[in-house]
Amino acid sequence: MSGPDLATSATRKRKLRDGAMLLPVIGAFLLLSPLITVFASPATLFGIPSVFLYIFGVWLGLVVIARTMAQRLDPG
Amino acid sequence: MLSLNTLIGASLGYAALLFAIAFWAERRAKAGRIGWLRSPLVYTLSISVYCTGWTFYGAVGSAARNGFEFVTIYLGPTLVFIGWWWLLRKLLRVGRAQRITSIADLISSRYGKSTTLAVLVTLLAVIGSTPYIALQLQSITLSFSVFETGGNADLTAFWVAAGLAAFTILFGTRNVDANERHHGVVTAIAIEAVVKLVALLSVGAFVVWGIGGGPAEIFAKAPPEMLRSDTIFSARWVSLTLLSAMAILTLPRMFQVIVVENAEERHLATASWAFPAYLLLMSLFILPIAIAGNALLPAGSNPDLYVLSLPLANGQNNLALFAFLGGFSSATSMVVIAAIALSTMVSNHIFMPLWLRFSPQKTETSGDVRTILLRSRRLSIAGILGLGYLYFRITGGSGALASIGLISFAGSAQIIPSLLGGLFWRGATRTGALLGLVTGFAVWAYTLFLPSFEGSFILSQSLIETGPFGLEFLKPNALFGLSGYDPLVHSLFWSMTFNIGFFILGSLFSNPRPLERIQSSQFVDVFRLENATGSYLVSRSATSEDLFTLAQRILGGDPAQRLFTEMAKLQGKPSGLPDATDSVIQTLERELAGSVGAASAHVMVSQVAGGGTVSVGELMKIADETAQILEYSQQLENQSHRLERTAQELRAANAQLTEMGAQKDAFLSQVSHELRTPMTSIRSFSEILRETENLDLPDAKRFLRIIQEESERLTRLLDEILDLSHLESGRGHLPLEALSLQDVIEKSLNATGALLKEANFKVELGLPNLPLKVHSNFDRLAQVFINLISNAVKYGRGTPPVLTISLTTKNAMAVISVADNGPGIPVADRKKVFEKFTRLSAANLAGSAGLGLAISREIMRNLKGDLKLLPGREGARFQITVPLAHK
Repeated sequence: MSGPDLATSATRKRKLRDGAMLLPVIGAFLLLSPLITVFASPATLFGIPSVFLYIFGVWLGLVVIARTMAQRLDPG
Repeated sequence: MLSLNTLIGASLGYAALLFAIAFWAERRAKAGRIGWLRSPLVYTLSISVYCTGWTFYGAVGSAARNGFEFVTIYLGPTLVFIGWWWLLRKLLRVGRAQRITSIADLISSRYGKSTTLAVLVTLLAVIGSTPYIALQLQSITLSFSVFETGGNADLTAFWVAAGLAAFTILFGTRNVDANERHHGVVTAIAIEAVVKLVALLSVGAFVVWGIGGGPAEIFAKAPPEMLRSDTIFSARWVSLTLLSAMAILTLPRMFQVIVVENAEERHLATASWAFPAYLLLMSLFILPIAIAGNALLPAGSNPDLYVLSLPLANGQNNLALFAFLGGFSSATSMVVIAAIALSTMVSNHIFMPLWLRFSPQKTETSGDVRTILLRSRRLSIAGILGLGYLYFRITGGSGALASIGLISFAGSAQIIPSLLGGLFWRGATRTGALLGLVTGFAVWAYTLFLPSFEGSFILSQSLIETGPFGLEFLKPNALFGLSGYDPLVHSLFWSMTFNIGFFILGSLFSNPRPLERIQSSQFVDVFRLENATGSYLVSRSATSEDLFTLAQRILGGDPAQRLFTEMAKLQGKPSGLPDATDSVIQTLERELAGSVGAASAHVMVSQVAGGGTVSVGELMKIADETAQILEYSQQLENQSHRLERTAQELRAANAQLTEMGAQKDAFLSQVSHELRTPMTSIRSFSEILRETENLDLPDAKRFLRIIQEESERLTRLLDEILDLSHLESGRGHLPLEALSLQDVIEKSLNATGALLKEANFKVELGLPNLPLKVHSNFDRLAQVFINLISNAVKYGRGTPPVLTISLTTKNAMAVISVADNGPGIPVADRKKVFEKFTRLSAANLAGSAGLGLAISREIMRNLKGDLKLLPGREGARFQITVPLAHK
């Protein structure tokens, strides 16, 4: 392939790795920072407390993103 | 209600099933049919050994008491796994590259294969895991008690411990090499992982939809502070998340399944999302079960057992039994893996060094060592389970499951600073790791572990309440006056402060030994080192100090100093060590190779000798490789010689071709020139004959004679050219026969007799009397003689003219020399004699196209002989060689 394509794919790869590094940081920010107290309110959705939805929602989101990235990252 | 016999029967039946599965998997693996036994799915499921009896029973208890807090224990590992790319991947790679067998091995290996550190970490791991194992025993006995079967709790715990020890010994100590993985055990653990997940999900679904009336109604029963309390999302929330994140890396059993039992690195990519997903599913129903338990069960019920008591209270005996088996799975899988991991550590790092030191004969065969090792592992397993049972008896099975588990977590987390520092900080030293670990563990033991016995072990109740000797500021629960915090957060804060502080200070104020330096680069630069594939060079990041230390050890102090000063000067540095560039490394390696041989120098520069990193196998491999390289280079050398020869031949051939081309050009121009002269005269005389009227008859006759003579000359010339080209191409096959040389010479003299007589030549013959037989062609040979004789007559006329012909034999060849006594051939012309159309400058007589000598030499060469001009001062002397006839 020509040069620019190689450069593009290298950039994409680097960004993917940066993303993989950042994912736990983002997760920690969402789950450990005072942000969580915002959702610790009496509000509910279909009878389910907002904080429950928030924590498990973030959790599920992290799993899905991690899955997408793991499939693209080559462990080698 | 289920009877005790039903429970025991179910447990034994389930255990038997696990035995069968383990046995089957072991057999299958032995037959080489590993297949899905080592799939990413099984790997992920085996990691779920993280979810123990604590998760299965204790998480609900924790949720019932502290609300959302339980989830932190699963969020920490989730964060670690989704961040696999920068931490777990490196851990796995290092583990594989260094053939790490346990967490103690890893720490010891990183800090220069330190035995002290290995022993320390092993002891700490055993102490830290004991409460955890006790917790599993407790969860199983508790689960028995729910069914109110009236069994003895201590007895139950004892038999469970004994059964687990048997299972572990049977499947965990089959082979010695810890790198050979435990297929049977891991498969059984994976099955248990499925059982406990399905069991917990079933109970959850039953609670939410079976008796709770849907999620909304369940959450409506929750007390408001359970979900909204600001105290939940506090320092304890963050501490617990970090703690669980650290624990998943350092718990011996987790290290065992994640690193040691890992078959392929890419399995980690799957586990990176699948394991967090597993944790998510495990946690999903914890809170609803806890809420339902609090609301529906009578006050005073143990929250740790809601998972069992909720189905039981609603008459769901089968579900309860399934849940019981789920809990049983959780607890047993943890104990088995922990026992394997710990027994490996104990036997490798404590038992073996002691045995080697105190055994009477040091040189044992490897078979003996294997037996000893296996025996020590089995003993260790029994001992570790015994300790767990002892802890269970001493604490009396009291205390919430979660708090016991957290004590264990906090203990194993003490390894984290040394582990992370070792993986990412080249400057971390053994001294730092040692100081950090010792102080961290001491503070943990003093502030959390020993107080957990509530006065029944080492620390008395009064000491816990008032501090040693009444010193308030040393109170285990409020060290240095830091009070008002949760005991766990308090202990974690102080132990980590001391641990990290001493680790960093100790590393900064101590110097690593050479092996530590090398190992630190092997760990920190594990990915970079692998990218330099196939090369035994130390990576670019090797510091010049490392290299200098190595050089000093091999070359001696002064020579090393001189070598490095010289290299520094070459780099333009007035003083100090040179930068560790590739060329420096190569120079050093060459220098070392001079002392210890190339193969050893390779090994030393890349791994430093004496650290045990180099196995005999590796050395042999390297030696083998060196031999191969030598052989290969020899082949290359031969080949290049051959190529050189061929090239030389080609060059010569090319030169010859070029020369021949030039000759051909010259020949063609000569030929056309030679042909033109007679043609011109023929044309002009025939023109005169045709155009001149009244030409005299004598004139006309004269002109016609000239035309005839010129035509004859032309024919002769063309004949000669044809003859020459025929001979030169080598196509003119000359028939050979045995003939007498004297006859040929005689015939030639006869043929030229008139010519000789006319020039008054005197012929002197030096011929033997007996006829000399040669293998040749009569007519052609005569042609050569005639040509030589006529040349002598034309150009070699002396006063008086003499022609000398002599004949000898030499090396199966007849050698004839034909000489005249004329002016001879000038030195400058000698080379040109045999060229075509050469008429030597001095005497240019008409009648010859100058092809005679060229044709003669071609004839002789075709006859397997030769014609040469012999150097001499007087006259021209030609020499003919002809092969003699075979007798």
